[in-house]
Amino acid sequence: MGIIDYFKPVETMTAEEARKFLQGGDPREYNLIDVRQPGEYEQGHIPGARLIPLAELPGRITELDPNKLTIAY
Amino acid sequence: MLQTAGFATVHSILGGIRAWEGLTTPGQPEAGMAFFTMAARAEELTALAWLLEEGSRRFYEEAQRSLKDSDVQKLLSGLVTAEGHHKASLENLYQNITGSPPGKGFPSSLLSDATPGDYMEGGVRVSEALAWVIGKNIQAFLELAMSLETASYDLYIKMERRVEGENSKRVFSVLSGEEKKHLESLASLLDRKI
Repeated sequence: MGIIDYFKPVETMTAEEARKFLQGGDPREYNLIDVRQPGEYEQGHIPGARLIPLAELPGRITELDPNKLTIAY
Repeated sequence: MLQTAGFATVHSILGGIRAWEGLTTPGQPEAGMAFFTMAARAEELTALAWLLEEGSRRFYEEAQRSLKDSDVQKLLSGLVTAEGHHKASLENLYQNITGSPPGKGFPSSLLSDATPGDYMEGGVRVSEALAWVIGKNIQAFLELAMSLETASYDLYIKMERRVEGENSKRVFSVLSGEEKKHLESLASLLDRKI
């Protein structure tokens, strides 16, 4: 197998697709998480995004419902 | 990381917050998710991990030459050393699995297009990442490095689940723990630089 065969691309959505989804969706039915650092989050974030910095994600993953669609940035 | 933890449907936003805000700066190289079929043998996974560690080591070593921030250089020096230790751990593991140390053909004999130093975590090409880093600020570089360490952490969790034998699982468990510490160090430095 080639190297690239060992990796799958992460599913993505464009900013426009995310905007449409979030405008029409019920926040109780999805997880929207900002994985940047607190300073970056404070400078600006997508409305409704929950901050869970990337380095903290392994330990805080239980705060999220795995059965909901999750959008991360 | 989320999918590895069992999250059913996960999407990232292409271009992140900058795209949301209408800015069109090209995004950083995207790290893919590690994916193994059940046919992948333990020695192949070990060879893959070794190859990626060498790629990451090369990336950090070359980035260290071009980035002038002394805090970043110090951290990168530590990461270069750590990736070297990880390679040594994987060579030992390979010997435990196969009964022989890695030979001259390692890892190319196990991975069809493997040239050590070409690829790093997430299947990202080292040359692509180094080209992307040129002219970027420290924050952008650290965010890229964090995405790579996250991919590495995810890779080792999957490898630990995939291999058999307590010794092999322990090696990958230690490696995933160390990648998590790298991620935390990078995050801590990014906090200071924002």
